[in-house]
Amino acid sequence: MFKLKVSDAKLLRDMATAISILVDEATFKIESDGLKLRAMDPSRVAMIDFEWPKSVFQEYEATEPTKICLNISELLKLLKRAGKDESVELGLDDKTGKLLVTIMGKYARKFTMSMLEPSEEEVPTPKISFNVKAKTTTSGLSQAIEDAQLVSDHVKIEAETDKITLSATGDIMGATITIQKGTDALLDLEVKENAKATFSLSYLSEIIKAAAASSEIATLEFSTDMPVKIDFQQAKEGKLTFFLAPRIETE
Amino acid sequence: MTLTQKTPAPTQNPNNWLVDVIRKVNKNALDQQVITHSNSSLCVLCKGARFLCGKTRCPIMVKVNTFLKSVPLMETQDIDGMSPPSVFIGRIGYPNVYIGPLVPPVHEDTSIYDLPEQWFGKSMDEIVGFRSLLVRGKHRVNVQKPTGANRILEQTRDLALADNSVDIELNLTKKPRGSIHLDDDVQPFGPSAPIRDLHVGSARYNDKIEKAYYDTDLRATGAVVELYNRGVMVTKIQKAFSVGAFGIEKKRRLVPTRWSITAVDDIISKNLVEKVKTFPEINEYRVYESIYLDNVFEILMIPQQWSYESMEAWYPGTVWNPGGSSVAIYSDWEGNSGRSTYAAIGGCYYSARLAVCELLLKEQRQATAIVLREARPGYIMPIGVWQVRENVRNAMRQKPYMFNSLAESLQFIGGRFEIPMQRWILQSQLLQKALFQRKISDFFAPKPSAQA
Repeated sequence: MFKLKVSDAKLLRDMATAISILVDEATFKIESDGLKLRAMDPSRVAMIDFEWPKSVFQEYEATEPTKICLNISELLKLLKRAGKDESVELGLDDKTGKLLVTIMGKYARKFTMSMLEPSEEEVPTPKISFNVKAKTTTSGLSQAIEDAQLVSDHVKIEAETDKITLSATGDIMGATITIQKGTDALLDLEVKENAKATFSLSYLSEIIKAAAASSEIATLEFSTDMPVKIDFQQAKEGKLTFFLAPRIETE
Repeated sequence: MTLTQKTPAPTQNPNNWLVDVIRKVNKNALDQQVITHSNSSLCVLCKGARFLCGKTRCPIMVKVNTFLKSVPLMETQDIDGMSPPSVFIGRIGYPNVYIGPLVPPVHEDTSIYDLPEQWFGKSMDEIVGFRSLLVRGKHRVNVQKPTGANRILEQTRDLALADNSVDIELNLTKKPRGSIHLDDDVQPFGPSAPIRDLHVGSARYNDKIEKAYYDTDLRATGAVVELYNRGVMVTKIQKAFSVGAFGIEKKRRLVPTRWSITAVDDIISKNLVEKVKTFPEINEYRVYESIYLDNVFEILMIPQQWSYESMEAWYPGTVWNPGGSSVAIYSDWEGNSGRSTYAAIGGCYYSARLAVCELLLKEQRQATAIVLREARPGYIMPIGVWQVRENVRNAMRQKPYMFNSLAESLQFIGGRFEIPMQRWILQSQLLQKALFQRKISDFFAPKPSAQA
């Protein structure tokens, strides 16, 4: 049995949007201390690590640890019906064993949704020692990614002591974007060792676009030719972190 | 055609591709024509359809047509014969387009004239030979009114839904003009003229198509998928689709033949992709091969989740790269969740996707499929995307070459093609991804701890 109530439907919708860019079928863990999800996209290039502690919820009841698997785009369809200031409650419909989604505003609406077989796969977190930690604004990061996307489908990110450089080379055009430490876009930068790594722009832009709704500050951590970890600071105590594997061109 | 055959150097004579055509149709015409070509690589993307060069007619098509002019012209306004059955819905002037039957002056079973599923292996000459006999009657109608009191329209529709050859009397307002109509998507056909009167003999509908035709609550996509699943040939579905035979009653409309071919390939293969995505991945790297009409196909399947890319390389001297001095390579691709825009390389993208999915469905497996096509100088004129569909289907019927690694499979393909593998990789999103993109799981600790 579980009952999870979120006072603002938008919170839940933004969360589902962020998850939906990597997975279609999302296996959530409902544990005594909160709601968790860790999953890789089907091609195993990126992963999401999501956690909402109990405190994010207006009401949180979980009698025993449970796993539920939902078709995330179907869930989004329901959540899109919820307006501003409406609350959403997720529970189990005893009779049918389906998920019961209750949207409460001016009046109450109840939807049921079939659940899928939860994935048994336990996804670990990658073991990486990061040499660079950069704190950026989500909007600044998003701008830089869009610039690079004009010319190519992948981008090289380089960090030196006082700046981050994004460079992309396409068939016709090239782009170099330099972000200095201390500017509005790059709030803080810690560099143990200079580092550079190349990433797919389609993944990067999708991730950032989806997370931008719920976060204004993003912290990037990376090392040479290692995955990048992007942590999107959440309004409440939630955690929304993505990992993206690098592209390594070998001749 | 052997795989090792050397292609002529591009500098020899840029007119080679046309010389062959001329020889085939008129041995005396060789001295009379001076030919110039566009050097634009836009041609590969445009394929005579979109007029990307800004001209109102495609100069390449005009030239091919000029040389085919010597196909014997019909000397009569009244064509009497058996239609395969075949119809053509034009696209010029949309939504007011020319529709009508294709009728050869032949009194025997002509069904093979319009059955691309049975053409694989036939020579270009043979196909152009019987297709050029098909006279096209033209009657202008609005696509939004596929039903209603219009006898020519109704008869054209009856013909499109027919299961076998139908007797036709086609009376034209003048002698049919033009020679052979060529298009990259549509199979070629002969001269045309406006219809004065049309008499279609009794046509027996294909019973499965008839059922979908009378079901005015069934959506068009649903009808297409259902007919395909019940074993109706893709080109028969395309024909019925073009005369607006499917869909919710009020939404039915005529669809230009060219668009209908691609729409049906797209609808069916999209449906197959959704099924394929639920199957386990293949276990090894596979390469399938087929060569026909100087089009060499190498199809690579990578053991990972479904995604798809279609690439084509046009040699200098081939139809869409007539004056170029180097090979032109184009590609389009989709990831696991498909694509929402029309593939720039055109209808062949969807035809090949259909053929690839058919095999994966049969094997109940999924894979990343990369279709590589080398169009060599012997491919002198466009004859329709059926060539791609049937060529790839033929590849899928062969036993694949199996490999343990991507490197080995690429080395093999490199040996089959004239164009070095490096050129393909430079242009290929999915090959680059397979070669260069690491997986996040590569960075997990060697022994995942029990605590996830």
